[in-house]
Amino acid sequence: MSELEDRLNLSITRRTALKVAGAGALSLSAAAFLEACGLGGLKGTSSGSAGTITIGYVSPQTGPLAGFATGDNYVINGVRGSDPYKNGFKVGSKTYNVNIVVKDSQSDPNRASQVARELILNDNADIVLCSSTPEVTNPVADVCEANGVPNVATIVPWESWYFGRGKKPGEKFNWNTMFFFGLNEFKGCFFPMWDRMNTNKVVAGMYPNDADGNAFRGNFIPLVTGGGFKMVDGGAYTDLTSDYTSMISKFKAADAQLFSNCPLPPDFNTFWKQAAQQGYKPKLATVAKVLLFPADTTALGDLVTNIATDCWWSPFHPYHSTLTGQTAKQLADGFESSSGQQWLSSLGSVHSLFEVAHAAMTSVDNPKDKSQVMSKLQALSYTGISGTLDWTKGPMPGVAIQQPVGVQWRKGTKYPYSMVVVDNALNKDVPTNGDLLPTNA
Amino acid sequence: MSWVNAVVQGILLGGLYALFACGLSLMFGVMKVVNLAHGDFAVLAAYLALVIVSGFEVPILWSVLLVAPLFGLVGYVVQRFIIQRSLDVSPLTTLLVTFGLSIVIQNALLEAASANSESLQSGILASGSFQVAGLHVGYLSVLIFVTATAVIVGLQLFLSRTSLGRQLRAASDDQETASSVGVNVRHVFGVAAGIAFGTVALAGVAFGMYSSFDPAAGPQRLIFAFEAVVIGGMGSLWGTLLGGIVLGLAQVLGSQIDPGFGVLAGHIVFLAVLAFRPSGLIPQVAQAAQ
Repeated sequence: MSELEDRLNLSITRRTALKVAGAGALSLSAAAFLEACGLGGLKGTSSGSAGTITIGYVSPQTGPLAGFATGDNYVINGVRGSDPYKNGFKVGSKTYNVNIVVKDSQSDPNRASQVARELILNDNADIVLCSSTPEVTNPVADVCEANGVPNVATIVPWESWYFGRGKKPGEKFNWNTMFFFGLNEFKGCFFPMWDRMNTNKVVAGMYPNDADGNAFRGNFIPLVTGGGFKMVDGGAYTDLTSDYTSMISKFKAADAQLFSNCPLPPDFNTFWKQAAQQGYKPKLATVAKVLLFPADTTALGDLVTNIATDCWWSPFHPYHSTLTGQTAKQLADGFESSSGQQWLSSLGSVHSLFEVAHAAMTSVDNPKDKSQVMSKLQALSYTGISGTLDWTKGPMPGVAIQQPVGVQWRKGTKYPYSMVVVDNALNKDVPTNGDLLPTNA
Repeated sequence: MSWVNAVVQGILLGGLYALFACGLSLMFGVMKVVNLAHGDFAVLAAYLALVIVSGFEVPILWSVLLVAPLFGLVGYVVQRFIIQRSLDVSPLTTLLVTFGLSIVIQNALLEAASANSESLQSGILASGSFQVAGLHVGYLSVLIFVTATAVIVGLQLFLSRTSLGRQLRAASDDQETASSVGVNVRHVFGVAAGIAFGTVALAGVAFGMYSSFDPAAGPQRLIFAFEAVVIGGMGSLWGTLLGGIVLGLAQVLGSQIDPGFGVLAGHIVFLAVLAFRPSGLIPQVAQAAQ
């Protein structure tokens, strides 16, 4: 045993050593950062070669979050080939060449801020776009805010982006904007579906003890109870729990016929199998954070049938691009035929980021003037492949809201499972193409 | 009633942990090697099973017949050509080497299979259950528990009844004396690693059906396996089975008290064993009498 203890001690020392080394690396890069800031300050606003606009883009192209960025290559190639990006942005009588620089956050928040700094300091980016989860958008936004570079984010709940970075209602970021949705839209998307099912209005809540789970527990549960439903909170379980017996018993005892969650994907997988084993079969499951993308569905197999979730962009959205003129359907079809993979909602959002950059930079006098571009971004309203995005309406400064529709996963013809639009209460532009069916009949 | 249910599910969960832990326990018991890549090899086995299932369209349980022997071979090779070499340098080098293997496997899987999470589809086996006295007992949980018990009983019989088992114990007790009476210690260690890796493959496939996995899922599995081994007693196979069950029970009963307490309860039991009974519930001394 003493030998084991030696080994344990060794591995602990090693880990501590790694941590210390990591901290050292951080402080080193912080020093480099400060130095670089000084240089950036000397250069002032005249950074970047005259006549060329540099657009930086950060997303998690590798690592655990890579699923979000599956379509990035295709979308960015499409944007690069579009008329405004290929032939340059026309501003007044001048034409500016456009250069897009793509960086990978490797699903790591530290890496995300590092590449954002590279974009600003080495590539002299005039605007930085970023997408997919707070782990990317928040560090990138922080770097842009500190360096005074306009920044647009998407695919992040606005509360995580706004309150998660210490703002109080009404305050605004000087250099950050975003478009997506938040808890209020989850409510607007899920409640009509709950109402349409004939249930006892008891909702099971599976919210873990992590940032998203606690946000749902703190802010979504009051919306649920305020909406005439009864909430059964399964409790703040730890991520990567292997057995959900106690939670399942609780939901069964309360006869919770509706089910809501925001777990890690492997936890939902474990939970949903155990729920089936132990005979917990809610009439309708509306999930958040999981099953957003087709790749997630194959891991659950047929158990995924008729689980409902939110969808903010699909080929069924009747919108078209301001850059290429493509419809949403053409964008999705193009991705499927070029990659052989099934469409996913992030295609539209990433495309829209580049629409937003184009819209803001071509409606100012000087697109190289960062404060002009930023003021335009904060008051922008335009209609593109994600529909109308309007930064003048709130809920908070710098936030434009998209209205998701309710979808259910069904067996597909071309791919194993496909999204079917079953409820468009929030966005009547999108036609439904299927009936709302019970998850468990 | 819900407490009875929690006890039953906890014991069954313990089967999964024990299955994960027995390879780790065997490698430590025989070679004094703590394989930090244990969890990653299990995930690798799950991916391999996935490839076989989708490539040859065979049922998932059949793929085990291919994956387990293949992993036995992998174990032998890894032991002879990687772990043994580091053992020759110093026992502590094995920690670094297996840690390195863990990183290599995770990144190779990420490169080859992407970060998407996968699961082994076993249809009714994963989602079905039977009822005993009002309790729902999952087919898969029972199958995993039975497999774990069978593997551990089989290993015990192998160690105590066969000639190779005796050589293994001899080599484990005293390498030099064993080799002086004609035991090929390196070969015997390779065989032990092969057997351990075979059980790792079983554990990986079981886990792949039980939940979902991705290239980064290994280390978390290692922690639970490690806890089961330590709770039961380092190097003792019966202890590993018991340790797995104790860990599973602690987690499920813990979350019955409070859902946030589940995983923590397992860690607390682990810590308590380390503090008050560091040799584990069934210390290896007892095993020497086998």
